[in-house]
Amino acid sequence: MKGSAIVTAALPWLVIVLILAVIEAIYRTGHLPIFLPSPSMLWGSFIESPTLWPANMGPTLWKAATGFGIAAGLSLAGAGLGAVVLAAYAPIYNLGATLQSIPIIATTPLLALWLGTGAETQITIAVLVSQFPMLNGAMQGFRAADSRQREMMHCLAASPLQTLRYLILPAALPFIFAGFKIAAPAAVLGVITAEWAGAERGVGAVMLNALFAYDPPKVWLSVIAACVLAGGGYGVWALVERLVVVWDRPTELRQ
Amino acid sequence: MSRDIEIAQVGIQFHQRGETVIALEDVSLSIPKGSYTEIIGPSCCGKSTLLRLIADILAPSSGKITIGGSPPAEARRDHAIGFVFQQPTLLPWRNIRQNVALPLDVVGRTSHRRSDRTPDQLLELVGLGKFARSLPAELSGGMQQRAAIARALVLQPDVLLLDEPFGALDEITRQKMNLELLRIWTECRTTALLVTHSIAEAVFMSDEVVVMSPRPGRITARIAIPLPRPRSLAMMRDPAFTVAVNQVREALFGDEAETLPGGEAY
Ligand SMILES: Nc1ncnc2c1ncn2[C@@H]1O[C@H](COP(=O)(O)OP(=O)(O)O)[C@@H](O)[C@H]1O
Ligand SMILES: [Mg+2]
Repeated sequence: MKGSAIVTAALPWLVIVLILAVIEAIYRTGHLPIFLPSPSMLWGSFIESPTLWPANMGPTLWKAATGFGIAAGLSLAGAGLGAVVLAAYAPIYNLGATLQSIPIIATTPLLALWLGTGAETQITIAVLVSQFPMLNGAMQGFRAADSRQREMMHCLAASPLQTLRYLILPAALPFIFAGFKIAAPAAVLGVITAEWAGAERGVGAVMLNALFAYDPPKVWLSVIAACVLAGGGYGVWALVERLVVVWDRPTELRQ
Repeated sequence: MSRDIEIAQVGIQFHQRGETVIALEDVSLSIPKGSYTEIIGPSCCGKSTLLRLIADILAPSSGKITIGGSPPAEARRDHAIGFVFQQPTLLPWRNIRQNVALPLDVVGRTSHRRSDRTPDQLLELVGLGKFARSLPAELSGGMQQRAAIARALVLQPDVLLLDEPFGALDEITRQKMNLELLRIWTECRTTALLVTHSIAEAVFMSDEVVVMSPRPGRITARIAIPLPRPRSLAMMRDPAFTVAVNQVREALFGDEAETLPGGEAY
């Protein structure tokens, strides 16, 4: 049992190592196209300027985290308001959906004109692209407690605040985390896209410079950096969810 | 402490898609304190509605209900009513002990309502001592319903209302649960009112069986059960038991009772 679990966990890594080895081998025989760097070239580019990456991933990370935080606050407040004031439910939801559907490729240059190419623009974009998954999740979550459970709290003569604490919030958590897990990578990618419109530092800035300098290894490294940040954003919330939502484990469909 | 329940000329209508359903009409019933009563009747005759009126989940369109002299809303705020729903309705994120202790969290540390029994003692009482730390999803339906009963008892309710609490369980489990419920009621001496679908069960358990009929929902018979307490399964062979079962069956089916193939599960 335990041995097979280790094999299962190691298998993806083995596959990755194998693929890298194959690419390296093709490169050595001279058959790799020029836009596809070999693993050794990537490594060479990386150790050439190792401080470049933390220096640029850091700003992207904090801008994405700030934007995510603002969006989380707004979404939870909006969903909470929509749950209490029913008349506000549809307008708030529609506003979130509308903002979500505006293409950021179009808004970024406009925001850059308006706010400049500083952190404000990139954080604003991160808020715009990450708010709706969280709003959607929270709005669904605040309605997740069923009528029987609400009736039970009513029978206990629980105050509105107690009902919120003991019933509404815990019932909403799986939905809120579902939103967070989608929103965190979205915030990272939003910041990187916004950095293309001009930024001093950040993964998006490195990506753009490497592109104009025709430096394929660096372009690829910046793609990997973007994936690490976006995947990390997802991973953090998946982990928190796993630790918090212990009662809602996935079950197999065929059970 | 237990309280009596007074129901005087209560009626309630529901309006749904332009239609008016008279769920209950002119229902009067007095239930002495400390007694055990079961309500029986066909589906949709308003049994659940009656319980929900007593528990202040619904308000009557006409008539009046009092619980120990106070209106249901007051009794509810005073945590005098324990309610066991048809489904266990446990909170899935709380373990069994935390679920049983939920009413204690709501009333606070200083309430006079807190039972002398701790949640752990109540779990022992309903036979779940070993499962205090399990999550509801890890327990069978019958065990979950027992936890729901323990939760309803943790504030020492003056009135215990149970709406088909064992309806979802198989016959054998239901039989066991009924015996346990009688034992628990004997210990707690609260006023108990339970909705059931089984004639034999109603007669075996109750001091009085209330028979209801639908369209509009009303009470058609009240049958006192002269069996002594404590009850034992052997009493099911008592002639008085058979007489009472036949009385209930007649109240439910009238003349039809003659032509029905003699089983008690209708
Ligand atoms: N909240 C409600 N809204 C509309 N109709 C209701 C509602 N609750 C009960 N009813 C109606 O009242 C009648 C009695 O229902 P109920 O008390 O649940 O019956 P029982 O528990 O005896 O099966 C039914 O016809 C049902 O459709
Ligand atoms: Mg019912």
